[in-house]
Amino acid sequence: MIDPAGTHMRKVLIASIIFLLGASLLPAQVDLHTVEFQYAGRGVLVPKLGTRIEVIPILALIGAGAEYSRAAGTYVVAYGEKRLQFTPGHKLVMVDGKLLDTMDAPVPSPGGVAASLDFIDRSLLGPLGFRLDPIPQGYRIVPGARFAEPVTVRAAAADFAATTTLVLTLDRAVIAEAESTEDGGIVVHFDDASPRLDPGTLLRSRRVRSLTSNGREILIETGADIGLLNWHNLDDPPRVILELGRVYPTPTPAPARVVERSGPPPIVIDPGHGGKDTGAVARTGLNERDLTMSVARYLSAELRARGHAVRLTREDGEGRALTDRTAIANRLEAKIFVSLHANSSTFSSVKGAETYYMSLDDQATDEAAAATAKLENEAGASSDGRSDLDLILWDLAQASALNESAGLAVAVQTRLNALLDLRDRGVKQAPFVVLTGATMPAILVEVGFLSNPTEASRLGSAEHQQALARAIATGIEAFLSEP
Amino acid sequence: MNRRVFWILAAAVVSLALLAWVLFGPGRHAITRQDMVEGDAIPTPTPAPEQRVMLLFPGSDGLLHPELRSVPLPAEVHEKVRTVVLEVLAGPTGNLQPVVPWTAELTAVFIDHEGTAFIDLTAPPKPLTGSHNELMLAYGLVDSILLNCPSLTSIQILFGGHEIPTLTGHLDFSRPLVLNKRFIAS
Ligand SMILES: [Zn+2]
Repeated sequence: MIDPAGTHMRKVLIASIIFLLGASLLPAQVDLHTVEFQYAGRGVLVPKLGTRIEVIPILALIGAGAEYSRAAGTYVVAYGEKRLQFTPGHKLVMVDGKLLDTMDAPVPSPGGVAASLDFIDRSLLGPLGFRLDPIPQGYRIVPGARFAEPVTVRAAAADFAATTTLVLTLDRAVIAEAESTEDGGIVVHFDDASPRLDPGTLLRSRRVRSLTSNGREILIETGADIGLLNWHNLDDPPRVILELGRVYPTPTPAPARVVERSGPPPIVIDPGHGGKDTGAVARTGLNERDLTMSVARYLSAELRARGHAVRLTREDGEGRALTDRTAIANRLEAKIFVSLHANSSTFSSVKGAETYYMSLDDQATDEAAAATAKLENEAGASSDGRSDLDLILWDLAQASALNESAGLAVAVQTRLNALLDLRDRGVKQAPFVVLTGATMPAILVEVGFLSNPTEASRLGSAEHQQALARAIATGIEAFLSEP
Repeated sequence: MNRRVFWILAAAVVSLALLAWVLFGPGRHAITRQDMVEGDAIPTPTPAPEQRVMLLFPGSDGLLHPELRSVPLPAEVHEKVRTVVLEVLAGPTGNLQPVVPWTAELTAVFIDHEGTAFIDLTAPPKPLTGSHNELMLAYGLVDSILLNCPSLTSIQILFGGHEIPTLTGHLDFSRPLVLNKRFIAS
């Protein structure tokens, strides 16, 4: 039998001992200005500056020499065969000629240089083959890096219509596994290796927000609803290939009709806005939702009369998500996608029609071109450029699809300029949601400004709407007849 | 019970003795004491030097027009972005229109390691329309920031602390925007 009172007393006793022994672990906090570091039977009290600790005495304790080069502004640490360089104010450490990025930067201090415990542990002692073990007085430096040998990871991404391929190229073979996290992100686990992202990596993807290395993992933050579809490893060079895409279906206002195609590929016309979304509204009461539907009907009739199959993305009064409109065009394998809109400006003087196509930003294109040239120059010199070259070729293929959209935009805008006697408005590029992911030549036409009183009244007339439809149809035909 | 009390007291005395020994007793290791250092020194703020910034505002031709202004421009990039955005939000001095057509405040600036700045503005009080208004707002801010902060590569605009898919149903606001000079009057 167990005596309840006795059990209670025993608990109190154990709690008291734990409390008192626990209190004995506090002395490290008694002196707020120093921390003790021990190594091989010797100890040193090292000054603290806020959350940072002087670095030189710790390196001296393990017998590592640290020299400051005034000209370079860097510290050079020599320990046996190992050479390590770091610069106050910079989140980088060079270990035996390899750059590693660090979580924070060391700072100049009265003793020369001070750094966070994490920096000392992970970025200085780790590469030299040591780790910090906490002890009551402070820390003991023991052999064996806390973090396994670093592996440098270079990331590259290629965005496709519906998915993104993310390639992590490793500088040595390491077991790596990817999985989705509960909060919708993706984590890549490295077996016995601490991944360091190549500081030169400049990732451009509309589906990948950021990559962060943390301990033995790389955390991938993705855009909303984007997740891991599948992944696999490749060798020579060692790579982790991740396929990312939409993982949750987007709720649509109306149950999506099964869009099936019978007959030749159609031209898909998208009357902008719809349902409760009226878009821009003129003083006359004419709204963008109804105007675009009206022009879409005239355009549809015009194109059908010229022998083309035509489909609309919405019916009168119906709303539709922007991404669904592009999806319909993709599912129908449309030969052309035209989204119709009418504009509005805070300046009532602004008028005219404009045609837009998707922008693949200049910088990304320039970078892809520069990277291609670099890879071509290095061709044969290294085998690990192959995967990057493939990615760049994919990117360039995407760019060529955009060139087709540009051609269509110019063909249509030329006819609109002639109709409206426009000189200064023209073809422009911008990342429009409805054009994102379209796999065919795709444009967005702004037929005019409802905020301009003269243009608004003209846009309200059936003759003008028909004239606009004819001009757009002629532009489309001209584009389709181009060799 | 007496025996239990005895053991509790004994354990307490032993623990206290241990504590005292750890705290004040001679260490097993020789200790060398370095000079003590106080916490981080507080740097004295120096006023940022005045510099010319180029701000872009929509004009009556439907394009963005530059307005040059001399302002104290801090070197630190967060502060620099903040300064440029506040100047844009303050509006144009001449015949141009405001970039943001409501009284918006800049609530946050974040910058990631790839040079993308995220700026958070108070959300519009009522829905806006027109791709033109959306483009003027986006590139009035994005181009003004990127032209004055060359260390940055792209800008994502957040509203009311949230990433939004689009503002008027046209432009993609869910990802960072890069410099787009096509909307600047030449
Ligand atoms: Zn619209």
